[in-house]
Amino acid sequence: MKKISIVLTAIALVLSSCADFLDVKPTNQAAASLSIMNESDAKVMLNGLYSALTTSSFYGRNFILYGDAKSGDLTVQSNGRGYDYMFAYNHSVSGYSMSGFWTSGYNIIMLCNNIIENIDRLKEEGTTGLDEYRAQALTIRAMVHYDMCRLYGKCYNDDKSSYGIPIADKTVPAGAQLLRNSVEEVYSVVIRDLDDAATSLSKKKNNGFVNYYANRALKARALMDMENYSGALSLAEEIINSGVYKLYTNKEWAASWSSQFGSESIFELGMYVNEGDLGNTGCLGAQYILGGGNGRNNQIFMASKAFLELLGEDPDDVRWEIMGQDQVGESEGYLRPGSCYKYYGSKDMKGDGKASSSAVNIKLIRLSEIYLIAAEAAARTSNASKASSYYAEIHKRSPNLPVPNGITAAMVLNEKNKELFGEGLRFWDLIRTNATIVMDDTTPDVKVTTRETSFTRSFYKCILPIYNGEMNANPGIRAQQNPGY
Amino acid sequence: MLYEVFWDYNYYWTSSNKGDAAKSSANAISRMKTKFNKHGYDFIASGTGRYDPVQVVEYDNSGRGGKYFDWEKAYFGTGVYQTYDLSVSGGSDVASYYTSVSYTKDQGRVKINAYDRISGRVNLDQKVGKHVELATTVNIASTDRSGYNDTWNNGSNLFMQTRSLLWGLYWPTDYKTGEDWTARYGSYGQNNLYYNNKWSNDSKTLKTSINEALTVHIIPGLDAKTIFSFDNTDTKDEYYISAEHFNAPTVDGKAVARSISMDTEVRKIVSSTTVSYNKTFGAHTLGLLAGFEAERNNTRFSRAEGKNLSTSALHTVATAGVLDANAYSWGNSMMSILSRAEYNYDNRYYLSGSFRRDGSSRLSPLTRWGNFWSVAGSWRISNESFMQNQDVISNLRLRASYGVNGTLPSSNYGWRALAAYGYNYNAAPGGILSNVASDDLRWEKSYTYNLALEFGLFDNRLNGSVEYFNRDSKDLLMNVPISRVTGFSSTLRNIGEVNNHGFEVELSGDIIRNSNFRWTMGINGAFTRSKVTRLYREEGKSVGQDIIWYDPTGGDGLCQFIYREGQSMLAVYGFEWAGVEKSSGLNIWYSNNENYDFKDENGRNIVYDYGDADEVILADLVPIVHGGITTDLSWKGLTLGLNFNYKIGKMYDGAEQNTTDDGYFWERIRSRNMWENRWTDANPNGTLPRIIGNDSEDFEQYSSRHIHNGSFIRLKTVTLSYNLPKSLIGKIGLQGTRVYFSGQNLLTFAAWKYCDPEVNAYGTQGWGTPIARTYTFGLEFSF
Repeated sequence: MKKISIVLTAIALVLSSCADFLDVKPTNQAAASLSIMNESDAKVMLNGLYSALTTSSFYGRNFILYGDAKSGDLTVQSNGRGYDYMFAYNHSVSGYSMSGFWTSGYNIIMLCNNIIENIDRLKEEGTTGLDEYRAQALTIRAMVHYDMCRLYGKCYNDDKSSYGIPIADKTVPAGAQLLRNSVEEVYSVVIRDLDDAATSLSKKKNNGFVNYYANRALKARALMDMENYSGALSLAEEIINSGVYKLYTNKEWAASWSSQFGSESIFELGMYVNEGDLGNTGCLGAQYILGGGNGRNNQIFMASKAFLELLGEDPDDVRWEIMGQDQVGESEGYLRPGSCYKYYGSKDMKGDGKASSSAVNIKLIRLSEIYLIAAEAAARTSNASKASSYYAEIHKRSPNLPVPNGITAAMVLNEKNKELFGEGLRFWDLIRTNATIVMDDTTPDVKVTTRETSFTRSFYKCILPIYNGEMNANPGIRAQQNPGY
Repeated sequence: MLYEVFWDYNYYWTSSNKGDAAKSSANAISRMKTKFNKHGYDFIASGTGRYDPVQVVEYDNSGRGGKYFDWEKAYFGTGVYQTYDLSVSGGSDVASYYTSVSYTKDQGRVKINAYDRISGRVNLDQKVGKHVELATTVNIASTDRSGYNDTWNNGSNLFMQTRSLLWGLYWPTDYKTGEDWTARYGSYGQNNLYYNNKWSNDSKTLKTSINEALTVHIIPGLDAKTIFSFDNTDTKDEYYISAEHFNAPTVDGKAVARSISMDTEVRKIVSSTTVSYNKTFGAHTLGLLAGFEAERNNTRFSRAEGKNLSTSALHTVATAGVLDANAYSWGNSMMSILSRAEYNYDNRYYLSGSFRRDGSSRLSPLTRWGNFWSVAGSWRISNESFMQNQDVISNLRLRASYGVNGTLPSSNYGWRALAAYGYNYNAAPGGILSNVASDDLRWEKSYTYNLALEFGLFDNRLNGSVEYFNRDSKDLLMNVPISRVTGFSSTLRNIGEVNNHGFEVELSGDIIRNSNFRWTMGINGAFTRSKVTRLYREEGKSVGQDIIWYDPTGGDGLCQFIYREGQSMLAVYGFEWAGVEKSSGLNIWYSNNENYDFKDENGRNIVYDYGDADEVILADLVPIVHGGITTDLSWKGLTLGLNFNYKIGKMYDGAEQNTTDDGYFWERIRSRNMWENRWTDANPNGTLPRIIGNDSEDFEQYSSRHIHNGSFIRLKTVTLSYNLPKSLIGKIGLQGTRVYFSGQNLLTFAAWKYCDPEVNAYGTQGWGTPIARTYTFGLEFSF
């Protein structure tokens, strides 16, 4: 009897440790459901969200590059280098579909929803003090919906009832197969979320993170698309008049690129060594300079002839200080300053004060853009004095050019082109204003067969296709593919 | 062909030279000069037409006229493999031992890859008293490896580079100065002869394994045995890239060196205890076994990385200005209860059954335990009394079995929805969600039955077997792609049911058999079919949803497949290529929908642009039959063995899309096959499309153009060996000596000649270094 009981106890001991033996957890990951239990957890997940924004497939590089490469501001010296397919509008459903925007965009949105829903749950349980984090996640969710809608859908003032993107304003379950909402619906969700978030955001400068003014700036951009110029003007003025930000003087302008979180940075995305740093072949800066990208002698993008002529209106323009020799000039033996060093800090490529010169913060929203939005909105609502005063502030940077009487929207857009070159904004202005996009196809070694040289937003490749992978997993969306693809 | 691409660009596209043959030709020549003058070559076009041949001549007295650099010789060599073993064994009634030491050195075909290993082993068996036996095995091996693996990367896949006809125009030195050429070549390849000295990659592994087995004979027939096994592999990797390498990182605008040091320790511990009872009484024989087993696997990983090393003389992380590190571990464990019963009556009727229950950490507590069992029976007909009085059938056995077994997901934590950390922002810790998972992830279970007949005729001179099997797998585990709107691109799920069934036939016999000479031959073949029987579907739908997936080998997505109910498990999905249009040389496709540019002679719709076509199921890559043929001859001490393997079926050549590209990408490597078979004005029956400077098949399209007859037969191994007669060697004290020569993969006959037909499990071929012809010579002595 004793022997049996010993054996049985031994078996019982063994079996009870069974459960623990088979419970193997990873040491660098934790259960998702327990990831946000208090305020410091929420901050950690929020940091992770910002880290996800720095992905090269979106704000870390491609989104900025896209807005320049497709605008006629850039040209290439040779085919087959880096991202020249953006320049060539070489998009198709399975080749160069730029699906990274879709997949990383929704990944970011999913992280936002995770933070928002967990914070809502904690609030119900009584925790307070989390509203600021929630509002930041909400603003980012709205921003990504807005940017993705412009990538995949027609401009609001072109056809707002056409397809935008599927709205994901709560966590989407694994088996869901959402279909595209209209552009109008997406914009209304974006505006709703931005306004909801604005009430809880801090009105202080928040380096590396979103604050109240970044939120208002995003709304101002959206309102410009919707042709609500008076709304955009009042938001822009709220930012300008807050006193939180200050424009760079002409002396400070070039140096502003080699330091972090300057006085104009409303939303500056931090790119840090060992975090978002993409290195010397992959970083945003490398795409625009001589010696960047794939090797010492192969420049990927450089300024187009048209842009150089525009900026060349004033040879003493402050903005020349960040431009340098490019490969076309180098190989033909003259100075052609088509390389832009904004994302390498300076022409000496010293970065912005971090250990790696390729880890340069990305200035997503700057005060100069706000002044120009205000000037354009004022010009379009016949507010001549405001248009003139805001325009003049930026126009100062070309000291030899006088300020004209009577500022038109077209003049503001030219100034915007000079100021914000290389910051990923030009293409969106051309689309919004239904302008003719003229690409620079003059470089001898280059052939482009996938588009004409000059076209308007009616060209179907101005928006991206829904890529194969999504259509295969979500068959219903196939019927909603963008026209022409 | 590169000239044609440039010519087309000018002729069709540029505004200045459009339609002007002379200018197009001049421009095309000038581009080629820009690319290759610096390497010492010049070009003269014999005429201005597109197909007029271009002469390659010497430029600037470079001395390279008529000569091209042999990269294949520079990068590849004959691999040499050597292995030396020494072993000693002996013992007495109470203890026996076996020890050995072995050294292996492998200089691979790629010159910078090298491998060597030294290993030792001790086996000790001891009897303790009358009832207890102890067996110990200790095995230690230390391996050192350097070099790197093949990838698709144009710059580093040496095999791919040397296949390009253009590559011979690139030289590793500057013809003017004689110094190393360091700039990148046109299509982003580089001079690896120079760069291979600027980086190093070295890996040292120490593998230790220890096994202990204790057997207790309790009473005659009843034994208890417990085994404990410990296996530890510790790998240390050192990777260094110097500041002169083009991939070097930069700090403050200056290129710097980088060093990475990694340590991975993989440990496996298994403990198993069984009790068995074997008894024969009369004509009955009974065997019973029951036991318990537990296994734990754990891997610990740590990494230190440094950038901006202080001096080029020291290559370690310790000297770095910028540091980064990571460390974590992962693993899984499993617990099982097992049992088995076997019975036979008079060596004629056999019956057996088994049952086991396994629990694994790879599934959630709700689903981790699975029950698996089997029953089997066989009837040795040839032992029956009615079979004794004939000479024809010497062996006849019928057997059948049915059983259930299970498969676990390959991911350790696939059922857990996890948040991952280390996604820092501004040096503050950050976390993200890393996957979406369901905790009702279950075992994948396979229900298999098989029926076989084994026979031997004429005193086992001819024997063989025929077997039929059918396996239904339910709850197939797969990383299924999901809508990206969820934030993720795939999730691990039990997706459906598949069926595999088939026949295996085996036949072998002694063709000649006498006291001195023997010749045996055998052939076997397996005919299998597979089918997706059921896929996951939403409520209310009658048909499961198709799943499109990609060949996972090498991460290159070489081929696109589809799981669709009723179709094979390896159904290729893509565009249906209709060949080359005779009058224009353009690619044409079957649209498989209502679009058409024209109709072919069977009335099928054809389009020029694959964008107008639909993708369809193109082929089934499961082989129709595959197997082997062996034959052995032996005469006195000499034996010759040949072993063939063969397959009849289709394959997908994933590398072909690079070698026969028809346009757009300059300096695309184009094979001789392309040169000879492409459509040109002079060759309107060409089977491959014309090269057009401004058009392309666009290699990302998966199409039937790359599906080929993958049938082949290959002489896999040949072994010729000679055992020196005892009379000769006995005098020196040797007990046995054997001299042998063996060759692997010496001969292959294949239907598709452009790549190795021995494909991977998915039926595809890519850019991996192909299987080599190996010649081995060996000598064995025993004392």
